[in-house]
Amino acid sequence: MDERVYDLIFICRPATPEDEINKIVATIEHSATEHGGKVEKIERWGTRRLAYRVSKHREGFFVYMVIRSTQGDIIKELERRLKVTDAVIKYQTIRLDEELKRQQKLVHHREKRASRRPRKQASPIPQGPQQPVPPPAEQTAAS
Amino acid sequence: MSDQPIPATPGTPSAAPPSAARSEGHSGGGAHRSEGHSGGGSPRREGYSGGGGGGQRREGGPGGPGGGGPGGPRRGGKRQYFRKKKVCRFCVERVDFIDYKKVEMLQPFVQERGKILPRRMTGTCSRHQRWLGEAIKRARNIALLPFATEL
Repeated sequence: MDERVYDLIFICRPATPEDEINKIVATIEHSATEHGGKVEKIERWGTRRLAYRVSKHREGFFVYMVIRSTQGDIIKELERRLKVTDAVIKYQTIRLDEELKRQQKLVHHREKRASRRPRKQASPIPQGPQQPVPPPAEQTAAS
Repeated sequence: MSDQPIPATPGTPSAAPPSAARSEGHSGGGAHRSEGHSGGGSPRREGYSGGGGGGQRREGGPGGPGGGGPGGPRRGGKRQYFRKKKVCRFCVERVDFIDYKKVEMLQPFVQERGKILPRRMTGTCSRHQRWLGEAIKRARNIALLPFATEL
């Protein structure tokens, strides 16, 4: 199986102490590596305002991770862990490799095109025939 | 009484003045009725021009929430101003991937209430609109964008 890239975001309660967040991150990282994955990036966005209320909180501490894995089961395990963690109020995992592949393809395509022929001047937009808009026959029936 | 003269006005100009004079001179009941009739005629025409106004606002791009005008026909009316061609903002900037995490990038394509703005307002091309919709929905799921405004 190809290697897959996932985005994982989870939101902790705003009152969670720093230690606990560190602990959660460490657990996730540990179980990810245990299941043959690799944590590529960890970002702490800090406390942000939520766009809507989530379990009665208006703010939350966001943690963002990028995980690479060849095993799809890893997500199941990570989500299970996040689910049972009390401090986590919301989480989302998104598989991104296909979109990244598409992006690379587009970039590649564009570079190839650019290298094949030098920048061609865009032809001026052809002026469409000026069509006079006929006055609408307004049949406002006097009721 | 006042029902009949008004449909007759375009054909017979002589018929109009007496009815107007009568409605002005008459008691409250008659005047009210005639006002109601004239009101029935003119607001509708305003409704048409309101539709045109909606078009103007649409031209402005992703600004205010597009209050769709009353159900007037879109292409009816006197459209004589030059309409600027809208260009897909993502195509101009050569965006290959719309990141759901960049909220400030998605914000202009969402109404205050959380609605995704339609292509006809923002001028986004179909491909980018598709990606954009996906990104907005992802952002909504993780509470970066609202589904709807809260009370």
